[in-house]
Amino acid sequence: MENFGGLCLILAFCLGVYSILASVIGSWKQKPFLLVSAQRAVYSVWVLVTTASGLLIYALMTDDFRLQYVWGHSNKAMATIYKFTAWWGGQEGSLLFWSFILSTYTAVVVFTTRKKHEYRTMMPWITSVLMITLVFFLMLVAFVEHPFKILAIGRAATPMDDGRGLDPLLQYWTMVIHPPFLYLGYVGFVVPFAFAMGSLITKQPGDGWIHTTRRWALVTWAFQSTGILLGAGWAYAVLGWGGYWGWDPVENASLLPWITSTSFLHSVMMQEKKGMMKVWNMVLVSATFFLCILGTFLTRSGIVSSVHAFAQSSLGNYFVVFLAVGIGATTWLILNRLPYLKSETQLESVLSRESSFLFNNLILLASCFAILWGTLFPVISEAVTGEKITVDAPYFNRVNIPIGLFLLFLTGVGPLIAWRRSSGDALKRAFLMPTIGAVIFMSVLVSLGIHHVYAVISFGLCFFVTATIGSEFWKGSRSIAAKDHVNLLRGAIELTHRNTRRYGGYIVHMGIVVMFIGFTGSAFNLDRTVEVAPGSAFKIGRYDLKVAEMKSGENENYVWNHALVEVRINGEYVGTMTPEMRKYAVSGSQTSNVFIRRRLNEDLYLNFAGLTSDSKVILQSYVFPLVSWIWVGYWVLLIGTLICLIPSKIKLQYAKMEVVGIARQPQPVEN
Amino acid sequence: MRVNLNQWKTSLAVLFVASLCVAQSPTEFLTKDVRRAGEKLACLCGACKNTVGTCQMLGCHYAAPAREKIAQLQKAGMNDDQVAGFFSKREGLKAFAVPPAEGFNRMSWLMPPIAIAMGLMGIAWWIKRSRRPVLKAELPAGPAGTTDRLRAELDKEMAKFE
Repeated sequence: MENFGGLCLILAFCLGVYSILASVIGSWKQKPFLLVSAQRAVYSVWVLVTTASGLLIYALMTDDFRLQYVWGHSNKAMATIYKFTAWWGGQEGSLLFWSFILSTYTAVVVFTTRKKHEYRTMMPWITSVLMITLVFFLMLVAFVEHPFKILAIGRAATPMDDGRGLDPLLQYWTMVIHPPFLYLGYVGFVVPFAFAMGSLITKQPGDGWIHTTRRWALVTWAFQSTGILLGAGWAYAVLGWGGYWGWDPVENASLLPWITSTSFLHSVMMQEKKGMMKVWNMVLVSATFFLCILGTFLTRSGIVSSVHAFAQSSLGNYFVVFLAVGIGATTWLILNRLPYLKSETQLESVLSRESSFLFNNLILLASCFAILWGTLFPVISEAVTGEKITVDAPYFNRVNIPIGLFLLFLTGVGPLIAWRRSSGDALKRAFLMPTIGAVIFMSVLVSLGIHHVYAVISFGLCFFVTATIGSEFWKGSRSIAAKDHVNLLRGAIELTHRNTRRYGGYIVHMGIVVMFIGFTGSAFNLDRTVEVAPGSAFKIGRYDLKVAEMKSGENENYVWNHALVEVRINGEYVGTMTPEMRKYAVSGSQTSNVFIRRRLNEDLYLNFAGLTSDSKVILQSYVFPLVSWIWVGYWVLLIGTLICLIPSKIKLQYAKMEVVGIARQPQPVEN
Repeated sequence: MRVNLNQWKTSLAVLFVASLCVAQSPTEFLTKDVRRAGEKLACLCGACKNTVGTCQMLGCHYAAPAREKIAQLQKAGMNDDQVAGFFSKREGLKAFAVPPAEGFNRMSWLMPPIAIAMGLMGIAWWIKRSRRPVLKAELPAGPAGTTDRLRAELDKEMAKFE
């Protein structure tokens, strides 16, 4: 089986190389049979990678501990679902998983565009770019980090009785779906990049690739958002300290392409509607792709220390070469094709939606740069000064909070400014009431005793953005309701259906606002770590907590202890919480199963952190105000994204002002 | 009378047990002063990106002894800066949670605003370049104020137009 798995990977690599050569030569020499052959090679690669993946999954499910990978990442006691997730739990398996997703995406792209005439010239190059990336990963998985290695002494295979198992922290439901979503996002960004490169190589002046890939980029963006939020949710519920974002290099690596793709999804509208910012969009789509590869490099090379990173390996050098060649080639291509990327229209006014998009892009990229800079700075500083320094969460918070707040402000301002030009009066009409409302709201917060400056500003901006978005829905819905004689809700649905991109986008912005409310709540977090004997009580915030009892037991996988903690608010009993501590039999590692009392206003979070020698419980207790709003915000964001994907009822035409000539001074025209 | 004395004894016993319970009140792990000083120092355990003051790993091999040391230094009369200085002497610059604003490390703080400034300059350049005057037809002049009125109406209509 292991030989067949290895053979599949080597064959997939060879066919991948063939597919690239056949595509390029077929396009260059105008040989249709080579192009068709290249497409079939793509399908064959998918079959081979899927077969190899299936074999690895089979080995994991059947506890085939002859394989080093199975032994290292699974054991007999693990639940079946976690045996499956061990596929991406280690370096070799996750590289195979990457390859599987990319080969699937490539096959889907080739299949869905096979009859589209507009892509006939571009398609061989799109296939080549996709396959170059896939071949790179297949090379790693077939020759460098092979998942089918056998445990052997000398030349004899040495089966082991049981495996080491997956890290207990990873045996949690969100970890079952977090990596696949993140990978679907990461890998998915290869497709818009491939289309962009195909367009550049074939010197396509049109925006065809933009129309096709916008939807793709949006779906990929949704996957990436989901992956990031699932990771945050996992960290919150599993790690035992309630943190959902720790500015770890690997977390940052997932955020960077998300930011640039967000920027791309905004600026792509400028190209679609106004024919502007073509070079910029090429830069953004390329940056997103290379940041995905950089993120993979950071996770796997060990260049920056991270608790999430896979074991150190020699993979780093391969990634550096791939990145260097890729960035060099892409830069050359963009510079070489600049004449094909000229704007079709001119900017008419600084006070316009176009300008607001520019600022939005600037701020998003500033945030991306600040995070990347902070992530890599320890390496840069050590290279320059010879001394290692630390860049921890306080740095990222200090730099990114002001940027984030400005971005939140633009979220409210941008969509309300008209395309082409806006007048002072129009701006006054749109923003006066929301601004006054926000100022009053902030004053109320201050008078209520909230003096955390960033928190007050953030809540004020959340109010402002909600008011601006709400007024847009209100005005449109009321107009439709009056015209069509329907109620306001039907009016709002009709309004959204008429222009799903615009109003879906507003809902996404609303999701961001709700998430910001959740982030802002962290300014008021409370925590208390105590040693308590059963029968004793302590207080955190408005909660009185009493450890009523302690229980213990065991099953085949772990030994457990849990505390029964009675919760009272103002003397009134509101429930019992049962945080648990586990010690796993095989790995010997200890984990905590936290208990969270989730409410919209605040979460009460208890972690059974340990036992003292005199049988006292060490409890870590936390109050996290508004944290649930982050998860609610995610659902709003996802619903908004899905609405954006629904075709609009009314096809809108956007006016473009065409350039008819350039003169130093206004010229009179003869009548 | 004997009964009353017994009741007194029982009450005293209850009070004694209650006082024992109060004496067993929960033990705190981190004081406010230690946390404040610890927030300037990086937790160098390698597993988190928190500070000594905010690391929540119980028995963390770096944060726990560091907190004890901070408490000792504070008892000896050191202020937060002196505590941070002590750790930087012992561990080097990596002891700080954020890069110190000195020498090359100043770049960690300067680069993000520089990047924003460069971006703003880029936008200004792009706007200037994109707003080159284009050929315009000179319309015959109408009655006074007509153009302004038409312009205002046009702006109003354009504001509605997506």
